[in-house]
Amino acid sequence: MKVPLSWLSEFIELEIGPEEIAEILTMGGVEVEAIEDPYQSLGELISVKILEILEPQELKDLVLCKVTDGKETFTVLTTAKEQVKLDLIIGLAKPGSMTFTFEKVEIKNIKDYKSYGMFLSPYEAGLGEEKDKLLILPQDSPVGESIYKILGISEKVLDLSITPNRGDLLSILGVARELNTLTSWKFKAPYFEDFLKEGEKFPGKIEILDKEGCFRYAGRFFRKVKIKESPFFVQKKLWLCGLKSINNIVDITNYVLLEFGQPLHAFDWEKIEEKIIKVRKAYPKERLLMLDGIERELEENDLVIADAKKAMVLAGIMGGEISGVSEKTENIFLESAWFNPKRIRKSSQRHKIVTESSYRFERNIDPEGVIYGLLRATELILKIAEPEGYSEIIDIYPKTFFPPQISLSKQKLTKFLGFSIPSEEVEEILNKIGWVKKTGYGFQVVPFSYRQDIKIPEDVIEEIARIYGYEKIPITFPKSSLYSPEISAQLKFEKKVKNLLKSLGFFEVITYSFIDLASLEKLNLAEDDLRLNFLEIANPLSITQSIMRTTLVPGLIETARFNFFREVNSLKIFEIGKVFFPTQNILAKELIHLGILIMGYANKEVWYEDLRKFDLYDLKGYLTSIFENLKIDIDFVPYSSEPFLKRGISFDLYLEDRKIGFAGEIKNLILKEFDLKTNVLIAEINLEPLLEKQKEIKKAYEVRKPPKYPSTFRDVTCILKKEIKIGEILDFIKILSIPYLEKVSCIKIYEGPPIPEDEKSITIRFWFRAQDKTLKDEDVNKIQKEVAEKIFKRFLAKPR
Amino acid sequence: MISEEIEKLEKEVWKDFQKIENLYHLEDFRIKYLGKKGKINWYLKQLKDFSLEEKKKLGSILNQIKEELETKLKLKEREILLKEEDKDIGLDLTLPGRIFPLGTLHPITKIIEELCEIFLKLGFEIITGPEIETEYYNFTALNIPDWHPARDMQATFYLKNGALLRTHTSPMQIRAMLERTPPLRIIAPGKVYRCDADIRHSPMFHQLEGLMVDKDVNFSDLKGILIYFAKETFGEIKVRFRPSYFPFTEPSLEMDIECVMCKGRGCKVCGNAGWLEILGAGMVHPEVFKSVNYDINMWQGFAFGLGIERIAMIKYGIDDIRIFFENHLIFLESFK
Ligand SMILES: [Zn+2]
Repeated sequence: MKVPLSWLSEFIELEIGPEEIAEILTMGGVEVEAIEDPYQSLGELISVKILEILEPQELKDLVLCKVTDGKETFTVLTTAKEQVKLDLIIGLAKPGSMTFTFEKVEIKNIKDYKSYGMFLSPYEAGLGEEKDKLLILPQDSPVGESIYKILGISEKVLDLSITPNRGDLLSILGVARELNTLTSWKFKAPYFEDFLKEGEKFPGKIEILDKEGCFRYAGRFFRKVKIKESPFFVQKKLWLCGLKSINNIVDITNYVLLEFGQPLHAFDWEKIEEKIIKVRKAYPKERLLMLDGIERELEENDLVIADAKKAMVLAGIMGGEISGVSEKTENIFLESAWFNPKRIRKSSQRHKIVTESSYRFERNIDPEGVIYGLLRATELILKIAEPEGYSEIIDIYPKTFFPPQISLSKQKLTKFLGFSIPSEEVEEILNKIGWVKKTGYGFQVVPFSYRQDIKIPEDVIEEIARIYGYEKIPITFPKSSLYSPEISAQLKFEKKVKNLLKSLGFFEVITYSFIDLASLEKLNLAEDDLRLNFLEIANPLSITQSIMRTTLVPGLIETARFNFFREVNSLKIFEIGKVFFPTQNILAKELIHLGILIMGYANKEVWYEDLRKFDLYDLKGYLTSIFENLKIDIDFVPYSSEPFLKRGISFDLYLEDRKIGFAGEIKNLILKEFDLKTNVLIAEINLEPLLEKQKEIKKAYEVRKPPKYPSTFRDVTCILKKEIKIGEILDFIKILSIPYLEKVSCIKIYEGPPIPEDEKSITIRFWFRAQDKTLKDEDVNKIQKEVAEKIFKRFLAKPR
Repeated sequence: MISEEIEKLEKEVWKDFQKIENLYHLEDFRIKYLGKKGKINWYLKQLKDFSLEEKKKLGSILNQIKEELETKLKLKEREILLKEEDKDIGLDLTLPGRIFPLGTLHPITKIIEELCEIFLKLGFEIITGPEIETEYYNFTALNIPDWHPARDMQATFYLKNGALLRTHTSPMQIRAMLERTPPLRIIAPGKVYRCDADIRHSPMFHQLEGLMVDKDVNFSDLKGILIYFAKETFGEIKVRFRPSYFPFTEPSLEMDIECVMCKGRGCKVCGNAGWLEILGAGMVHPEVFKSVNYDINMWQGFAFGLGIERIAMIKYGIDDIRIFFENHLIFLESFK
């Protein structure tokens, strides 16, 4: 909402400058986004000096002037042959600037000549009526300077951001009232002469058929108005507020809208069939060609202004093409109404039209402003459209609006704010927002009609606090009962997992919860895969963010890709976030997943080791560390069923009998579709079952004491078939129930000469310890020998 | 005279001892004086021809020297050995060490954790809830009916099934109040979504909601809590409170902190205002209490909500919100 200070000062005596006014408004709750000078915003409108005047034959009516701005010399074409003179200092709009008439100035080519800008008339510069004259500047003016600086002209316009509750501030008058409330500067209330209130008999008929949609409908007929261009002062005010001038009648409706916040609509009387004006619901599928040239199909909940035969206007939102004022219009009907804000909002949303008018109606207007607006418009029409006559005001107001009576006790006020304000001060403040009556316990307030936002005691409290000044309110700490809430198990668990991964060298990422369907499709999932049963966004910003993710994989791969293309060749990232699945209800099933991705090299280029690419054992190792620290047994079941993982380099992860995730290397072909040319390993785990499991685990640690007796180890080295898995051997050892065995692990695998090609050599180390004695070598040797034999026999291995 | 010779020997011994610099010298010295055929033993052997009295006297002198020597040699040896290990063995100490790099938490996570800690200290409980919400929780219960222009303040993503992506963490106020009986103090961090994308707006971002309900927590208390939060988060900093409007609080306010870039003088970051808006808050609107069946004559409270990215951008001097969700390694590494 733009508020020119010059206009504002017609309603209030401004005692201080723009910055201070802005500060007062901001601290009063009316945010000032900027203080603008529309003249400066036009761009480079500067003074130039004419150095040479040429009249090339082929240009006919045009003359070519060479001018200087003090720095450069350039040519300008003009039709004002008679007015240009050598050495004249004159106003010029440079290419890229804009004129008062909203014209964008560009470099013009005519024949072989170029015009680097345009000489301005006072009108085009926004300085006065004159259009045919050039803007000649005093002869002693500097060149290359802003014409407004030379002429000492500036306009300050406050750009306000008005909160949706304060529809009353969407006008110059409203802002003036607010400033008066906040400062007590002298308010100059509008005054209307009595003759404006009466007139001839209204020559038509008005009916409100939809009383729920229209609370008040008023209007007036004007006979034989002269449709023409508005005088400069009207045009300038509209321009200061960013509006274009159209003709005097339309401009007056806009003028009153800006000034009083009352939207008006002017009809061409001749287009009103049978001179009946009906405020009614639209008929189903009724069509209306509107001012923006679009014909829309209306529905019953839309409110229209109609004549005997057709809808003329989508009430409060936009006029119709046919019934509007044109140059040929002679008689007009001027409407001023109060429509139901909810109805206007719904129609405005349904048809996706937001106008200055609908914006104000849906934020609610001042019911009393309906008549004031009409009077103000009458005053202006008389002044600039010279009607031959006008009618009485027709005012249909079926149910008079009575503002609420709000009771506020002193005790409630003090309890709510936490401190007490003297009664006299409260009363003084309340007098600024309504009629106040002191009662035994406090106050009774009837807000002014334009303060439609004040309805309940809390609203009144806010006004008191606001006008008293938020800054003056004391700073205290709540007095409350002491209790210490527990941190939820889920948050603790998430934090633990995050910190584990951080210590393992992983970087946490956060990717969007919405993804591209295409990226999900790239995963090659089976048709019945649950992850293809996703929730879709009805109004996405882009197709790449149009479905709710059901897996973290696409987001992680995209992140890897983003990094890969920006010189990252080694990456360890993880994300903990939600995935979403549809349910029978409207709410989704939201599951917290952990995704881990490693890409490229496992190490950096360093002096102490060779570069090595990440492989499955890295991923498995990280996962093992995490699960061990969480004290949760997860089975790595070889050969994942995930279609985007290399089957031979992947696992499904199981917690007891339940699959909770997967881990493995992504297929090259899939990566290619993501345009990623490096090795990528990924794991995704549903954290919910882990969290459940974690809850079962007792908090206490299983504490072990340092051993009293020494341990001893023995190795079994043997050669066996390559395809025999170490895991099988270790599982076999487990079931042997070997006495004193503390730990067993494979410590060496060797393939290559002299071992035959289809065989490998392995070394398995056994650690033995007794809890109550030092084991004797003979005993251990005996055990080891038996174990070795069993292994050799079971796996057809040969000792080495 | 033998006693003079022994005296001479003693002097010679200590003079020689001074010359020991390494283990070789030490060994030579030991052999020379303390060895079986060493000088001290040689004199001891000579003593057999002397009188008992002299034997006793000279013998004890020799043994004393021997003992002292042995002790000093032990110390000397230790000294040499320790010194030996101080030698420069030609290691290139300028080479970097073997690195085991740690990762980082996302800056948004870090800010959320910091904020949670601040409010945990004040006894607030951390809760979380659904990101996909219904109109009711996101709007209606918060006193934003569907015809309300306040809905324009939050461009909403709708799902095809009629649900929506929560536009703020405020639905957690409703969920918390329905699940608990007052008094209560909660904070709810989480993701929120709005149809908006540019350098200052991301379609997904994070908020933290706070709510306190008790018998007489009031507007002055709200100021107190918010100032405490600002000081804990940004250090000693000027704050100001402006009246504002949210449908679910009344009175409402916005808190600004003095611009950290220009210290209030005005710059590009603060749009020349000298202030940065960091949160919205207010006293819980009675309509909100009504929607969770709290007795408005019994309970009152305040709520506040703030944008995590905004705090992170101010704290870390970031000017483009999108960088948080690109997750480039170099960016993430800065938060070590
Ligand atoms: Zn600044």
